[in-house]
Amino acid sequence: MGEEFRIIGKSLPRFDGPVKVAGESRFLADIDIPDCWVGGVVRSDTPRGLLKGIRTLPAFEETGAVLVTAADIPGENCVAIVRRDYPALAAPDINYATQALALVAAPDRERLARAAAAVEVDIEPLPPIFTVEESEARKELIWGEDNLIDHYRTERGELEKGFAEADMVVEGEWETGLQEQLYLETQGMAAWRSGDGIELLGSMQCPFYVVNAVSVALGLPHEKVTVRQSVTGGAFGGKEDYPSILGVYAALLAWKSGRKVKMIYERSEDLLVSPKRHPSKSRYRMGLTKEGKITALDVDIRLDAGAYTTLSRVVLQRTHLHAAGCYYVPNIRIESRAWATNTPPNGAFRGFGAPQAIFAMERTMDLAAERLGIDPLDIRLLNTIKHGDRFPYGQIMREGNNAEAVLLKAAELSDYRRRRELLSHQGGGRLRRGIGISLGLHGGGFTGSGEEKMGTTAKVTFDGEKFRIYTSSTEMGQGASTVLPMVAAEALGAELEDVLYIEPDSSRTPNTGPTVASRTTMYAGKAVQDACENLKKMIENGGAPLAGKALTEAAKKYLRDNGRAEALGYNIFTDGQSWDEENFTGDAYHGYAWIANAVEIELDMDSYEATPRFAAIAAEVGRAINPMQAKAQLTGGVLQAFGWAHIEDLKVDANGRYTAAHMNAYMAPTTLDTPEWKVELLEDPCPAGCYGAKGLGELPCDAGAAAFVAAIDHAAQIFSHCAPMTGEKIFEAIEKRDNGGE
Amino acid sequence: MRIELTVNGRLRHAEVPPMKLLIAVLREELGLCGTKEGCGEGECGACSVIMNGRLTNACLVPAVQASGSEILTIEGLGSSRDMDALQRAFVLEGGVQCGFCTPGMILAARALLEENPDPSAEEIKEALSGNICRCTGYERIYNAVRRAVAEGYCDTFRKRENLCSGQLPQPTGEGDERFLLPESLPEALSMLAENPGAVILAGTTDIVPDMKNGKFHAEKLLDISRLKEIKGIYKAGGEIHIGGCATNGDIIRSSLIRKYLPALWEASRRSGAPAVQNRATVAGNIATASGAADLPTILLPLGARVLLESVSGSRELPLERFIAGYRRTERREEELIAEIIIPTPPAGSYQKFFKRGSRRALTLSRISLGFCLEVEENVIKSFRAGAGSMSPVPIRLPKTEAAIEGKRLDETLIESAALAVSEELTPRKSAAWRKKMASNMLRTFLREVAEAEARKAKIEEIPDNEREGPKRLKGL
Repeated sequence: MGEEFRIIGKSLPRFDGPVKVAGESRFLADIDIPDCWVGGVVRSDTPRGLLKGIRTLPAFEETGAVLVTAADIPGENCVAIVRRDYPALAAPDINYATQALALVAAPDRERLARAAAAVEVDIEPLPPIFTVEESEARKELIWGEDNLIDHYRTERGELEKGFAEADMVVEGEWETGLQEQLYLETQGMAAWRSGDGIELLGSMQCPFYVVNAVSVALGLPHEKVTVRQSVTGGAFGGKEDYPSILGVYAALLAWKSGRKVKMIYERSEDLLVSPKRHPSKSRYRMGLTKEGKITALDVDIRLDAGAYTTLSRVVLQRTHLHAAGCYYVPNIRIESRAWATNTPPNGAFRGFGAPQAIFAMERTMDLAAERLGIDPLDIRLLNTIKHGDRFPYGQIMREGNNAEAVLLKAAELSDYRRRRELLSHQGGGRLRRGIGISLGLHGGGFTGSGEEKMGTTAKVTFDGEKFRIYTSSTEMGQGASTVLPMVAAEALGAELEDVLYIEPDSSRTPNTGPTVASRTTMYAGKAVQDACENLKKMIENGGAPLAGKALTEAAKKYLRDNGRAEALGYNIFTDGQSWDEENFTGDAYHGYAWIANAVEIELDMDSYEATPRFAAIAAEVGRAINPMQAKAQLTGGVLQAFGWAHIEDLKVDANGRYTAAHMNAYMAPTTLDTPEWKVELLEDPCPAGCYGAKGLGELPCDAGAAAFVAAIDHAAQIFSHCAPMTGEKIFEAIEKRDNGGE
Repeated sequence: MRIELTVNGRLRHAEVPPMKLLIAVLREELGLCGTKEGCGEGECGACSVIMNGRLTNACLVPAVQASGSEILTIEGLGSSRDMDALQRAFVLEGGVQCGFCTPGMILAARALLEENPDPSAEEIKEALSGNICRCTGYERIYNAVRRAVAEGYCDTFRKRENLCSGQLPQPTGEGDERFLLPESLPEALSMLAENPGAVILAGTTDIVPDMKNGKFHAEKLLDISRLKEIKGIYKAGGEIHIGGCATNGDIIRSSLIRKYLPALWEASRRSGAPAVQNRATVAGNIATASGAADLPTILLPLGARVLLESVSGSRELPLERFIAGYRRTERREEELIAEIIIPTPPAGSYQKFFKRGSRRALTLSRISLGFCLEVEENVIKSFRAGAGSMSPVPIRLPKTEAAIEGKRLDETLIESAALAVSEELTPRKSAAWRKKMASNMLRTFLREVAEAEARKAKIEEIPDNEREGPKRLKGL
């Protein structure tokens, strides 16, 4: 590659590792806030209805607690996210079970429990709808004029002509389920009044989202709301929108009570109320030549948004744009819709809509391969999108042929061809093995012109001893506090130990945008790089490039001479891309990361238990800033995808509540549900990304489920249409096959 | 209640409500916030500490039981400036991401290494199977454990002294006298006689989650965790005796159980995960009379009896009679389960425990089965079967047993047995799937028996003089 870096590309251990292994990190629950009250939420147990009244029993007064109802909200009664349709407190429409009706703060947990029990609500129930089919049929109108939260449509080429050219048409209906992020640290926020404003501290991904939401609900200007992030124990998208919701609750309680108020969910409440991955139902109709080349694709995808928009619009956009996966399709139509149901709003989960689409597309490829008698690897190789091809939304692929490259690499790492052949003839023992392969991509950063509009800003200062990096990019386990200093040290020419990552604090860190969309290394990093280069220029003042201690000496002099040493930096694009929001066409992303997974599972035919034994991951991630941390992201994320493929089985019950209220009912993979990993990174640096980096955070969640389900199918000799394929579903598919049917 | 603890080599005292959980005592009373709460119900492992040498979920131990213990928390290893070799290995190998599961994970690894200084890859996986990490995909954690071993971490271990006085926790607050703290079995029995109906605190793996969910109330509580005389496992008079306070962990570590009752050993191993196993007692698993309990499934066919003691004497009940119904047993209010007694299975007999949960570890059974069988001359001399998670309480399967006993072990029998078990079971949910699994499991068991018998027959065919090989070698 020619370019030489001092720090970029080194597999450095995390800088926050030592405090974490020593148990010294202070998560919100570990921070003692003196005289702090605790807050709680009075929730609806009715999935749909009208709130007729809220009253407190005498026991409430005895606790000294404070009650907040919708009438107490000083600003707008909403949690501002993408739209403003989501009320902070239901008034009077209730649209899902567990929806917040009122808030209570009390001096301690015991009094909070007593106070909350002394709040009575009067609800007139209305008939709920729980499925997209009911929503689509407008069985009840629960959102807007038609229950349709959002709708996108794309057409390219000539669909009918494409199908006419086909030798064969395959059609599949696909379904994916809810998935809980299951970050180990539950949601938590604390709030208190400060002068005529308010301060919040909590576990989150996006401090400025919280600033905005609290400012709208309290009717305060942004500068009166200060939001700081505490050490965050995992998020995976689950702390993208929800901290705005919990932040508004805590802020409302602190505002009315005048007290400091802390709210940390117990696991049960967290499971029952926090957003999940959107369930999806889709229909794919694909035309192919007899050689296996795709001629046409007609896609219809439906997401279950839950009761309000929250993030569904942007999740749906990503579903829509990833609908054809990594393949070139000359003639295509994609329709995608997000429907409202009386269930808790679904939100962000690593992959953000792409995994649902990629599952459907990958399974359609497997189905086509089976019908044509072609190996799943070969049909993929035949159709991967190549340099110069167009994506369905018109963007011309300008990168190398990375889809093909990762596929070949994953096949090699897993010895795919030999294993597939061998296992296809293994006979009928109790323990059977199967291998599946899948391919996925993820557009880094916001969709469309989102990054251009974001105004991503970073600041770097020199404080007399160290360079300090100010961003709103949160560390939630993914490694921002390691990678951003690496970028800064590289750009400055400074030693790593002379660079400090500053925890996000909206009063002193600029808005680098939210820590979402796999955009932190790629774009926040670029703003940090820019800021560092600007500061370096100021310090060097037209002289020779400086590095290491000479740089810090010069920085000290600069600081003495000028009183301060700081520079801003931005994420500026020079690649001339353009996006047409109106028609939803154009250059959707500045760079794509690519992944192929091959997984070999063992299926116990007595118990229908699928256990992953071996998994190969090949991912093209642009330049890997820290290859070890990048690989660790990949194994962690692919394991989440595997969990979603077979054991993370979550539904909504007859009362509109999630079926898991405890961790013993939500099965995330343990060590024993985890394969041996083989991971390899491919690097095709992306000109738009920081030092050539692409976003990789979400990529591992995108395609793993399809490979896993394909492996189950291979072992069981069935063809599956949904995720998760639980043991019971595997059993049912085998029964159906053996007793006629499919 | 005033309690004493030895934490990280220091004697500590605290005055807390008796049922305050160890995690809260550590975090709130002693300022040791490295122990994290991820679920509060023993389902994630984030709060793992080492208590009296065993990995323990701090969220499942009430203060009244923790008192007098020697405890190691993450703060007792190294600090960020002076990490121990295991902590350093976690950093260097990339075994840390968000850091929330990390302290518990490190203690789970430490607990493993204190017992087994050179674990295999499988042993590492099993030891960490109760600690959920949502970030890493685990492999880097195994690498960290291996690296610490390779760097001689285990050589740095020193025996930890318990500095506690041994004095019982002292009542200081209102309601503390509700807690009865016997130090011997006779004392426990007389306390129970005076306080009939007192709720018995043993492993608390069920009571604590119930308490958290507002489902637990008790006037009086009898803590039996100090009754040394009913913790043991021994063989006497052709029977195996498991003390009423013996835990699943004790079963797993018992060579006696592993030798004579391998199916029970397997049931204990598949029940929960290590930290839960170290707390959950065998007696508790039968006394809760829960449909999803794992151990009764195999204890029933093993012919287990329950020895109940009270001040007025002792009596034995077959386990089947002891479990009276869902959450109901025949234990009288003044009685304690002193032992579970299991006849040693005849030499050459077969036993097997099957479990299928919703994942591989730390999961409730969706189905569990226990089989005990004797064959003579290819005819099934006796067969007993137990089934769990498919009825209000674990049950024996008399019809299936009758369909098999006295019959010739061949493919026809195996198929009719598979059919019989499927017909006898009546699970309420997912019935077809569970019935099918039961058929499959019984079929597999019987085939394994048939194969083992065939192998045995083959060995018997070898003339005696050829079987004497090794002896002749000795003679040279």
